[in-house]
Amino acid sequence: MKKLMEISLGVVTSVGGFLEVGSMATAAQAGAMFGFQLIWAVVLGTICIIFLVEMSGRFAAVSHHTISDGIRERFGFNVFLWPLLAALLVNFLVLSAEIGGVAIALEFATGIGFQWWALPVALLAWLLLWKGTFGFIEKGVSILGLVTLCFVVGAVMLRPDWTAVARGAVPSLPVHDAANYWFMAVSILGASISPYLFMFYSSGAIEDRWDKSYLGANRAIAGLGMTFGGTISIGVLIVAALVLATHGVTQVDDYHQLPLMLIPIFGFWGFVLFVASLAIACFGAALEVGLQQAYLVAQGFGWNWGEDRKPRDDPGFSATYTISLLLAAIPIALGLDPLKLTIFSMALTAASLPLTVVPFLFLLNDERYVGEHRNGIISNAAVIFIIALGFVLAAVTIPLQIFGGT
Amino acid sequence: MKLLRDLLDKQVVDREQVKIGKVDGLVAELRPGKPPRIIAIELGSITLARRLGARPGRWMARLAVKLGGKQHGQPHRVAWHKVKDIGVDIEFDIDVRETSIFVWQDWLRDHVIGRIPGA
Repeated sequence: MKKLMEISLGVVTSVGGFLEVGSMATAAQAGAMFGFQLIWAVVLGTICIIFLVEMSGRFAAVSHHTISDGIRERFGFNVFLWPLLAALLVNFLVLSAEIGGVAIALEFATGIGFQWWALPVALLAWLLLWKGTFGFIEKGVSILGLVTLCFVVGAVMLRPDWTAVARGAVPSLPVHDAANYWFMAVSILGASISPYLFMFYSSGAIEDRWDKSYLGANRAIAGLGMTFGGTISIGVLIVAALVLATHGVTQVDDYHQLPLMLIPIFGFWGFVLFVASLAIACFGAALEVGLQQAYLVAQGFGWNWGEDRKPRDDPGFSATYTISLLLAAIPIALGLDPLKLTIFSMALTAASLPLTVVPFLFLLNDERYVGEHRNGIISNAAVIFIIALGFVLAAVTIPLQIFGGT
Repeated sequence: MKLLRDLLDKQVVDREQVKIGKVDGLVAELRPGKPPRIIAIELGSITLARRLGARPGRWMARLAVKLGGKQHGQPHRVAWHKVKDIGVDIEFDIDVRETSIFVWQDWLRDHVIGRIPGA
């Protein structure tokens, strides 16, 4: 019964981690521009993240190392430096985008420009990290995050042509705007396969004191949680395809177009639901990314870390998330367009994947860490596929950014 | 036991299980006619910078002296005979509060973090 509770909590938490400004914005853009045609990218991204999250949890439960600890120890400091720097940079951009997402939601709610909200949002996130515990943040993010289910309800209420939806789950070649199509596909993959998500998950497993008895729960949480998150993303995409496109919005290049999405379905409450979903999903992600920056640095250099401890007990750790949140608020406070930042950072995330995913192939096959629980043939095939995908994404992102970026 | 593989970059904890850093470097003694012997581990930014090259090492040492004074010009060393247990972490029979390893974290606590309400 206790395990069942933990699994359900874990599933809901992973939704909180999965659905954030990146997955919402890319799904909305893809739906508006290409209808259901890019659903396959959400499906593919979800399958990849399921495998990576499962491996990350298994690695932590069996070896009692986080992924960052593992990379540093297995490959040495000089190699670790590269994924460390890449992850810090990508996380900084993503954190900034998440703060921007909350700020935009607050602009919709109050009419006060988003740039004024960046610092208050960062301050609130910082306060929760400063005073809160890991369990409090985990549960708070997850329960509030359930509001994003309104996109799934909305998608069903719109009665989409389900055979067309299913056809979209199979990759197909674009009939118009080819460069844009592939750029959107890359951004969706970047939004789904987020390094902060699978690295954060291993820290969470250590914070929650997982051991081998959690391997089953881990598999269930990874599989169900990410599928749940992916379903909500598809919900966003379907709603965008049916609502935005029919209202003549085929290119979401201004975030003011977004709240329109749920209004034809739920009326005024659609506006409220959209604002609440955006604010909560992005705020939850901001907490997780901010925390992940501190985990990454503290684990990389071997300092004390732990969200349940008092800030004065690990000054290095708490100083890291404090500085990360403050720095990430600056671009938004200066008025950088959060939607553009989001799309850019999702593409860059995709490009950084080889650095963070290649270590999985080694760590999850090293008996000194995972013993008999090392990867089977399917997991290894999945990692190799994700690495190959990562290299392709890294190679095509920059040219596509130039030719297809919005 | 393969030293570089099994010791380098592992988590180091003191006898109170406080995480005090990683094994950033190893100090070995060369003995004529016999295999070299580990006499200490090194921790800290100077050792890490030296792993990137001689020049970054010199820069980091100069920076450390500038920020912390002369006594910080050398990396922190922990004698190997203090080792207590090698598991997921390497435990040394020392108390980090009696070393200068966490001087910067203490400074951060006393001057910045500790002054913010709720810390």
